[in-house]
Order: sequence, then C-alpha cells, then structure tokens
Amino acid sequence: MSKIINFKIDGKDVQAKKGETILQVARKNDLYIPTMCYISKTTPCASCRICSVEVEGVDGFILSCNTPPTEGIEVKINSDKLEVERTNIMKLYDVNHPLECGVCDKSGECDLQNMTLEFNVGNQNFSAKDQLRKVEDWGLINYDPALCIMCEKCVHVCNEVIGDDAIDVKFGGYSSVIIPKNSQTLDCTYCGECIAVCPVGALVSSDFKYTANAWELSRVPSTCAHCSAGCSLEYETRHFGINGEDNIYRVKNNFEYNSLCGAGRFGFDFENRAKKDATAFEGALEALKNANAIRFTSIITNEEVLILQKLKEKLGIKLYNEDARLYADFMKAYSSVSGKLHHSASMDAIKQADAVVIIGTRIATDNPMVRYAIRTASQHNGAKVIYAHPLEDALMKNTATQFIKYEVGTEEGVIALLANELLKNADIDEDAKAFLEELDLGYLEAESNVGDDEIKQMSKSFSRTQNHVLVLGSDLFAHARAKNIAKLAALIEKYTNFSLLIVPNEVNTAGVSLICELDVDEETENVVGYNADGDFVLSSLEEADLAMPALNQVEGTIVNVDNKVLPLNVALAFDGYLLNDLAKAFDIDKEYTVEYTSELPSDKGFKNIAFDSLENFYSPHGDDIRGYLLDEVSCVVEAVIEPVADLPEFNGTVVYNCNPVLQFNKFTNKTKQLEKDTVLRGSAQFAAAAKINDGDEIEIISQNRTIKRKFKLDDELKGTVALNPVFDIGQESSLYRFQKSKIVRVI
Amino acid sequence: MSKVYFSTWNGELVNNIGKPKEEWEESAYNLPAQYDDHRDSKAFIGWDGVSLFNEDVDVIRLAMEYAAQYQVYSEACGRCAPGRWGGRILYDQLDKIARGEGEIADLDHLKEIGKSMQITSKCEIGKTVPNPILDLMNHFEDTFLECINEKKKSKHYDDAIGYIAKITAPCTDACPAHVDIPGYIEGVRDLRFDDSLEATRQTMPLAHTCGRVCPHPCEDACRRTNLDEPISIMALKRLGADWEANHEYNFFHPMEKKPSIDKKVAVIGAGPAGLTTAYYLAAEGIDVDVYEELPVLGGEVAVGVPEYRMPVDKYNQDIECVRDMGVNFITNSRISADDMRRFEKEYDATMVAVGTRISKKVRCENERPEIKGYWGAIDFLDKVNLYEKYGYTISKEEQEENLLTTDYVDLTGKTVVCVGGGFTSMDVVRCSIRANAKKVYMIYRRDEKTIIRNTTYEEYHEAVEEGVEFLFHSAVNNITTNDDDILTELLVDKFELVPDPDGGRAQLVKIEGASYTIEADYLIPAVSQSADLDLLPEEWDIEMTSWATIKTNGKDYMTSRKGIFASGDCEYGPMTIVNAVGQAKRAASVMSRYVQTGEITLTDDEIMEDHLSKLKVYDKKEKVTGWLPGLPREHSSVLDAEIRKHNNAEVNLGFTQDQALAEADRCMRCYYIAMVQA
Repeated sequence: MSKIINFKIDGKDVQAKKGETILQVARKNDLYIPTMCYISKTTPCASCRICSVEVEGVDGFILSCNTPPTEGIEVKINSDKLEVERTNIMKLYDVNHPLECGVCDKSGECDLQNMTLEFNVGNQNFSAKDQLRKVEDWGLINYDPALCIMCEKCVHVCNEVIGDDAIDVKFGGYSSVIIPKNSQTLDCTYCGECIAVCPVGALVSSDFKYTANAWELSRVPSTCAHCSAGCSLEYETRHFGINGEDNIYRVKNNFEYNSLCGAGRFGFDFENRAKKDATAFEGALEALKNANAIRFTSIITNEEVLILQKLKEKLGIKLYNEDARLYADFMKAYSSVSGKLHHSASMDAIKQADAVVIIGTRIATDNPMVRYAIRTASQHNGAKVIYAHPLEDALMKNTATQFIKYEVGTEEGVIALLANELLKNADIDEDAKAFLEELDLGYLEAESNVGDDEIKQMSKSFSRTQNHVLVLGSDLFAHARAKNIAKLAALIEKYTNFSLLIVPNEVNTAGVSLICELDVDEETENVVGYNADGDFVLSSLEEADLAMPALNQVEGTIVNVDNKVLPLNVALAFDGYLLNDLAKAFDIDKEYTVEYTSELPSDKGFKNIAFDSLENFYSPHGDDIRGYLLDEVSCVVEAVIEPVADLPEFNGTVVYNCNPVLQFNKFTNKTKQLEKDTVLRGSAQFAAAAKINDGDEIEIISQNRTIKRKFKLDDELKGTVALNPVFDIGQESSLYRFQKSKIVRVI
Repeated sequence: MSKVYFSTWNGELVNNIGKPKEEWEESAYNLPAQYDDHRDSKAFIGWDGVSLFNEDVDVIRLAMEYAAQYQVYSEACGRCAPGRWGGRILYDQLDKIARGEGEIADLDHLKEIGKSMQITSKCEIGKTVPNPILDLMNHFEDTFLECINEKKKSKHYDDAIGYIAKITAPCTDACPAHVDIPGYIEGVRDLRFDDSLEATRQTMPLAHTCGRVCPHPCEDACRRTNLDEPISIMALKRLGADWEANHEYNFFHPMEKKPSIDKKVAVIGAGPAGLTTAYYLAAEGIDVDVYEELPVLGGEVAVGVPEYRMPVDKYNQDIECVRDMGVNFITNSRISADDMRRFEKEYDATMVAVGTRISKKVRCENERPEIKGYWGAIDFLDKVNLYEKYGYTISKEEQEENLLTTDYVDLTGKTVVCVGGGFTSMDVVRCSIRANAKKVYMIYRRDEKTIIRNTTYEEYHEAVEEGVEFLFHSAVNNITTNDDDILTELLVDKFELVPDPDGGRAQLVKIEGASYTIEADYLIPAVSQSADLDLLPEEWDIEMTSWATIKTNGKDYMTSRKGIFASGDCEYGPMTIVNAVGQAKRAASVMSRYVQTGEITLTDDEIMEDHLSKLKVYDKKEKVTGWLPGLPREHSSVLDAEIRKHNNAEVNLGFTQDQALAEADRCMRCYYIAMVQA
C-alpha cells in the first residue's frame, strides 16, 4: 500500500508515505523539531520526549518520533507551551550532570551542551540527591554512568543494526544505567558504534579519552581501507607536541545514517612513516627494469593499479595478484550468463530485503558491514535469513532464521540445489532447463549433506517475502568449481527476484579486477613486490626495500562491494616516494597520481570524473553522496553451464582461513588498539582428531605452507574444521579457504 | 461503596474532614478499605487519586512513599527523561518537606515538575504518579505549610509503617493471567524479542498458544479504545515466541529455576492449567509429575483446537518450554480414585486440572448417544486432531460407531449439523468443512451478534467464508432415525426474540408453524461440556459448585480438601485457555508456599491484584490525551478461504514486521502504580 497522507506542519502542506512519522516528514521538509534520543537508523527510542508537538484539536502533546500522521491534521511544532516543557526536560537532563565539560571528550560536539544552550538553561530549579557512580572500563570502550543521559541510542544500535545485542538498559528510574547484557563485562565485537552514537561523553574510546578536544582536531573525510565494504569515515588528526608530526587521534563516522566496524574505528594507525631514500628509489627503478613481474595485493587504489597496468605495458612485464585474478575470473563467468559486468545488489538492497541467502562466506568477520545490513533487514523487516556454510557462526545466531550446514567443498552442489528450488517455477531457457533436469538431486543432497527438508523449509519461510538477496563470498573465488558456481548464481539472479551481492576479499579487489590484466602467478624470478613478496619489495609495511605510503596517506579511489567508486584522502602526509614517482621515471608521466582517476577504463563502467570532483559525504537527509556508482556494462551471453562435478570430500582435520573480528590483514595487524589473536580455534572434536589439547603449540602443515600457532579449544565450535587467522601472515588467495591440514604438536 | 474519610478517586471528591465518623459520606468505588482478613487499610493511593480511610494518615509521608514506590518500581520504567529525573525529584522534595527541611519554593517546584511529568512522560506511570501527590498538596496544603513553616517533621515521619504497592495496567488487570502486556509490546517495539517473550512468560508459559487462540479479554480493556481502536494485543504476543523458535534458541525463561527443595506435586491433566501449574512449581524447585490420560500432551488445545488455528508444532514449543523447566510427564495414564488416595500420601500436594471433557446434550427428543450419527463434539474433535496432528488412526470398531469407512474422519458426501455457538462448535464446523463434508450447518439459539460476542469476529466470518451455513434462532426439536438406528433427519424449531414489555430481558419464543426438517448424517452437540470427576474419592466429599465443577474460593484454588487443588475448566466450567492459565499460575504460587509451610497464603502482590480487579483498572469513560487518534489497528492477513478449506494450514498468517511495529507503536504503555497503607 503506497498511500500518501496529506497534512500540515506549521501551516506548510506536507506529505507522508505509509510508515513515516511526523518527525521524519518534518525533517524531510527541513522543519526543525528538537530531539535528544532520536537516531535515524533505528526504531525510535522515544525516551527524551523533547520531540513532542501539538496537533490542532487534540489534547496534550503528541510524540512526533513514533507517531505517524493522520490525514488532514495540523501539526504545530513550536509554541510557548512546547517551549516550556522542552525547556523543563532540558532542565531535568542537566540535574546532577557533572560539570566536567572542561575535560570531557564530548565537549564542543555534545548534544547535551548544544541543547542546554539552545533552551537557555542557565540555572537549576530542580535538584535531586546525587549518586556515586563508577566509571566502567570495558576494554576499548569506557562507560561513565554519571554522564549518561539514558537516551538508549547505544542499546538500539547495538541490537538493531550491529547485531551484537551486547548492552542493555538496567532499569532503575533515576539509577538506570547501561550494562553489558547477560555478562559481567562487555562481550562484543567492539565495533564502537555505541561510542559513535552517544550524544554525550558517557561512552568514549579508552584510547582517545582525555587526549584532545573536539575543536582541536582536523577532519579528513575518507574511505576505510580495511575491507571491501569501503565505509565512509573521517580521520581526525592533530599534531603532537610543539614541533611534532601529525597523528590520527581517532576515527569518526556518520552514525546517523551509516555505521563502521571496530577495525575502521580503532584500527587507524597503519600509516608508514618514511623519508625520501634516493638510494632505495634507484634500487627500485633498477629492480623494475629487470623485473619479469610485479606482484601486488588488492590493498591499493584504482589509480595505482592503472599505473601498474601502464608499467606492465611499457616494460612488457607480468602482473600478479591472485586474489583479484580469481575474482575477475569469477565475475567473468558470472557475466557470461548474466550479460552484464556487475552484480545487482548492494548493502542498501540488503537493508531493504526481507529474505537473504548467504553462501560461501563467514560474513560477520569477512565483511562486518554486510553483516550489519543483514541484521538491519532482520530486525526492521523481519527478514528471513538463510545462512549456508560448513561452520556455524555464533555472531549470526540471532540474525539467521535458518542455518544450513553443508560439507566443506560442496558449494557447487549447494548452489545447484538452491538453483533447482528457486528456478522451479521460473521461465528459464532451454539450456538451464536441461541443466536442472540432469541434476542428480539424491547425490547432491547426500554429498553436501543438505536435505530436501532444509531446502523446503527455506522455501516455506519465503512464502510471504518480496525482496530477496543472495550473498556470495570469498570461499567461492578460489574454489575448483568457481566458474560454474558463478554461472549458477547468475542464473538465479537472472530468472528469479533475487538480486546478487558478491563480496570481494579485499578493500579494492573489485577495482583491481576491472582495471588491469592479471597473469597467473608463476613465481618467476625477478619479481618486484608491492605490499607483497618479491625480490625487491615496495611496501607500506615494515619489510620494505622502498617505503611506500599506506592507504591513509594517499589520494585515490577504490571500488567497494556496492560497485561504488569511493575516494580516499590524505590523513597523514607521506614524505617518501610514491608509485607515481617510479612511473614517471619510465615516462608514464602525470604529475599527480589522482590525475589517473578520470582515466579509469570506461568500458568497465568507470566515469570520466576528476578526483577533485568526487564528493564524499552524506546529505542531511541521509543520501549517500560519495563517489559514484559504476555504470552497468553489457556483456555477451555465451556461457554453457557445466554439469555439476563430483563433489569433493574433506576428511580428517581441515583448517579454514578466517580472521577474528576486527582483523583483516597486515595493516590492521599493525595498529595499536586492535586485538591480535592469532590462535588456531577448534572444537573438542577437532582437538581429538588432531590429537592436541588446549594451549598446545602446534604446526599447521597444508599444501604449501607451514604455520606455527597456539591451539585454543572453542566451545562454540563443532566438527573437525578449525579457524585459522591469516591477518598476520597474509591470505593465500590462490587457494580454497578450507585446506586439509596436518596438525603437529610442537614439543 | 466504601466508607472513606477523604477521597479524590476518579474525580469523585469525598471530603469528610472534620465530620464525625457516623456522618461520613461514602465513596461510590470499591476501594480496598479492608486490606486482608486481619488488616484494615489506612489509605489507598493510585493513578487516579487518593483515598484516606483514617484521620491519622500522614499525608506528606504518604505522598513521599508513593513517589518512593515509583522509584522502587521504576524497573518497569525509568525509560524517559521526565519520569526518570522527575520521579526522583518528586521524592527528594517530598522527603525534604517531610523531614522538616522544606521551603515554600519546594512546593512550587513540586507542582512544576509534577505538571511536566503529567504532560511529557512516556508511559502512564510517569504521567499519573503526580496526580494523587498534587491532590494531597492541594487538599492538605495547611499540613504541608505547617511542616515547612515550623520546620518540623511530618507526624509519622519516623514511624514504621507498611506500604504495599503494585504495578498494573488496564489490559494486565483484565487478562486472567495478568500478563505484563505493555512489557511484551515494548519488547516488540524495541525489537528485543527476548525481552518480549520473557515478559509474557513471567505469568504465561503458553506464549505461542495465547498469541494465536486467545479470545483476548484484554483488548476489551485497552485504553486505546477510548481514542480509536484497541491494540491487537494477542497477535503481538506470538512475535517473541516465533522469534525464539525461528532462531532455534534454547528456551528463554524469565526466572532461574531454583534448586530442588525436595517437595513433590502431582498434576492431573496436561492441558493449559496443568502445564501452567507445572511450569511455575518446577521453577520453584519443586518436583512435578504431570499425569495425562491421552497419549499426547496439551489437553484440549492439543485435541480440541484444530491445527489450522493452533499448529501443533507451535503448541509443542510451549509444552517443551514447560518440560525444559524440569517437569516430568506421564502420558496414557488415567487417574483413578485409588491413585488419588495414593497421591495424597506420596505427594505434598495435588492439582486437579482435568478440564471438561464430556459433551453435554442438546436436550431434544429422541436424543440417545447410541444413535449412529450422533457424535459428541469432544470425541469428534479428538478423532480429527489425533489423526491430523499426531497420526493416530481410528479403530474399525470406532469407525463403525461413527459411520466412517476410513481410519480418519472423512465426511465426503455427508451433511453435518452442529449445535452450539461457542469456540468448540466453531472448531467442529470448520473441521467438518476440512473433512470434505457436503454441507455443514451450525444451529444456534441466538443471533449473529451474540455468536460473535461469544467467539470472535474473525472466527465467525472465517467459518462463513469457508461455507458453513448458520441457522440462527433455531434449536433441534427431534432426531429421526431409520431402522438401523442411523440418524436421518432433524426437526428444527425457529424462535424469535420477543422484547419484555416491562423492560426486562427479551425472551426467545418459539414461532409456531415455522419448524422445518433438515436431512442430516451427523448431529454434533457442542453446547457445553462437563467435567468427568470420577477420580475424586467419594469419601473425600469434595465440595462442588451448582455447575458440577470443583469448588474453590477463586483466590487460592484449594478445594475443600486440604492439599488438593483445582484449576482450569474443571474448576470454573468450560472457559478460555487464558482463564485456566491465570488460575493455575495463582494456584502454583499458593501451592509453592503450601508444600513448605502447610499454610494457605497469598502474597501482597496477589492481594493487591485482587483488590485492583475489584476496583477495575480500566475506565472506558476516561478521556485519553497526549496521543493522536485515528491510527488504525493493524490486521494480519489470512489464508484465502478457497485454499484453506481444503487443508489444515494455519489460517492466520500473523503480522508482518511492519505491521507489528506499527501496532506496537500504538500502545500507550498504560502502566499504573497503586499503593495501600495497611
């Protein structure tokens, strides 16, 4: 029902869509109603009561934040009576609020300060007995109940958007406090959104606390460099000491409309401090001249990728990046069925969805923002969330409505089963029909361990759903059957009402895969590594032959999971050499790296827009005005879907490459605040199979590397698959994420 | 009527100050002047005013203690700025005056903060707490001024006085199980479904069931009705329960099970009353054995209420939740009088909750149970549900008795006539439609309006949509059978409602010459049910009601025999699930103390609950302010009649998330706080 409700606010004709509240309509029309507890991305907390308005002919005040208008009403948002009561509420907020604005982190950007001034509360008529309240140390987060105004924003965000559901209101009237939910101390993924949304200084970053005033910090809007979500953030910098250098003090985000995970928020100090080293620069030029190949990671800007492509052409060398190459192959296979270059869904589409199917990713840690989007859909739309994976994930428990456990390696079979069910009533082409008829369902079900009843249960839960999204992730890109999996997913996207989201591995895997031609990594000699192994290494990490800037020190763009081209900015200066300096020496001649922004390949959907013309903000109404969306590009449909291959078996001990929360790569590993938990986590069953015990030092011996780890028994896990972090050692992107591994105890 | 010294309750001003006691005017309200058997009340103070039963009440302290109770009880609230700080300020200022340190300005501050709370608080508790306090300040201004001017303590400031407070809400009061309805709706609104479910389970373990098939008396006491339409209270209940099931969580219990106290209770009957008794007793650390005659658990909700209204997998969730509390179930065990004698020795107490499982007759000519085609509603529904929900087939012998040729109820080609008008009869006719009957009639003595009132609007209209023909103002006069004693025809009389010229109740009068016959294969009486109480040993001589149900005082649910309790339909007569739950919850509380002390007692909370029920919390004449009227009640969609009449799929699809949130946002959180000085 898209009924429009016409009514008036302060005499102005306005319109509401079904489900919109008076406050939302007022804001849409730039009419100001003050609030203390309202946050756009959650259901109304309705605790502050300041947004009360009057309605002609209705006695009493009406709360505008959670009341939808009715036809023809006349709303008054300003009156003397309202002013008196709003002022009284502000007086109450100020009762016993500690007068520590001088040192409070929030001072200068505090809602309570602002509103106290707005309502001109200069003195206190009311008093209440003060109470002694202890500051809580929750690790990265500090909570001061004395400063807390109990707006409940943090609680709503944690539950509705993040999904940790880790904090709760302990009701007690005047003594109400925020407490960790069902736990002595805070047990959560430390996204820090509670800090972001806190309107006062009650929830603060322990690291930032008392280090700077809000007005001393310079804000640099940029894009997070840690995963493919490409979140909007602002680095806040200040120089340290009288002649000291600049530092990033903290990261903030537009919490009103978007979120940020803890890696983005707390993992900001991955910059590389370096001076120009002419000798090393000469060495780099020499290495490039002799190079057979450049090996690089996808933690790189589009512009630098274009420079690498030009170097490849100029020097006749190869480019290695297994992560992006496999992703490109996956997308090529997808395009060959879908007839277009880019997948159709976005994180916003997930937020609007009421049905989500996730396959081939441990999504909560692979891409926290996608998790938040799914959580939002789950809470706000009651979305049915089908999570298919060999491993359950406790973080997804309260969001997933059905967990489908499949055997390691059988992803192709699972997608085939899914396609068979979803395409049942679709008007599909003959080839697809033939493919589905050929399927040996009994075999697929038996080998993948996904029962017909589970698929039926899923279908049943979709009986009333309308907006469907299929989410695929990085278990699939290096899968032996990756291409056929991509084609099957494309088939589902093409013939059903599912849109498709493919979650790339790294911050710019998508960009790299579009911009350059990659070669199969054959590990030839004379390889120059760029943030990767090589005979000569250009790096923004420690092991560099020539130091390079990190992504918080450069201008440039990346392509995120939504196919958006997003700008990065310089939060901290870099005094060394840039890739562009090396390129210039080979007559690839642009003065600044970002001059390449407008030259990114238009046949891949990039637009001819200069870097300096890219916007990077959210409008006051929440419109995402950051960079631009890649143009859709048509492709030739030519693919034949192959029959499903025999499903592999993974017996014995299997290790899954999977990072803990807040960790993604060597850059996050470099940051000060983020926990660096490098243990191998496994179930009791895994420990028994591997003949190891909790706390043992072990070696994981797989196909082509041996890793030393400590083993930790994890009660939340089941089965013989253990989780192995790779953020400290680097992903082996060319390999399927599950690896049969021999586990040896080191004595 | 209550004798009061002073009262402002519900806008009625009774002022007997200065008058001799014998000249006191009475209040028109049922105020709790007598707290319990051995205590008088001195004062009653609540959302709607204050009543003093005694001249000696310290009004300043009373006001202060009421504000203090608001502080104590604010675990239910404390969720808005005006309530949170305002309540504390009220208390601090009143205490300051009561201890003799007050100033004149404090009175102004009290009035100002009180007014702000009244206008801007989130829930009614915050809005109403200032009401009686301002009343007292207004009517006893001199007393306040005296303390302030003379800087002296209020007259009983240092005395030990008992104040007993209780939180309620109109809906909670009207719910026989006293479910914290605003609490579970708030859980939905806040998208904290675990909180929502736990709020329900505090007093109601059957959240799936009563989120689906409750006749929701609460909705008749919803204050939102005074503004537009009542909240869809029942439909919001299942959200928490469905959420728990959908996410495959363990059961969220609102309390922690206490360690065993080495006491044992037997519960006879695993229906709603038995399950409820068992759940709350087990939570108290008492070992509970539940004996059930049928092979399946759940009582009439399992074998009476059809699958399309109450899917058994959902009901089983409720039952498993009870089992999860540590309850022991014994099925297929019909309890005899000998068993009961034994139980009296072996158990510390026994709960009889056997329901009413004998179908009463329609009282017509030639009505004999042995007629083939005459089929009691309870047995009919047993057969349908045991097959449809659990796969139990019907034996050859029973097939023959009931003219069946299949081992389940298949009525293809048959005409079914049901006599009734309540929920059971609705279940019979709608199950008959689903069993493929050719024609289904419902014969009812009264009219359409009454049948809707006795059941629900939805139930009646859904039955009509499915093709049931309702014959109103009708009653069966005679049953015709053939030579094989098979039912062939019914003679039906028509009645009309003749108003009483003296203004009394209208009478049903038979219309002579309007009788007609219906060819029928089955007559299913579903007029009412009675209890089968063979299990009660005769020598116990347990007192019965005139309705042939077990008699208790309706407060502690002990029968005339010590240690033997009764609840649910066998106590009350055929009634609702929620009524059985409410009785059993109270009984479990009484029993949990009885098994330890041998005493029958009620808690203060329960005494207050009964007082408030008598006083009535909901006031349908009250003018509601501070809410925008005209926001429509949400209706969940139902399966299409053409689809649903051929299967047993759940008819009501429940709210979508959007609907649930919109509906929850209509709830006005009408919590109130009442307090007695005893």
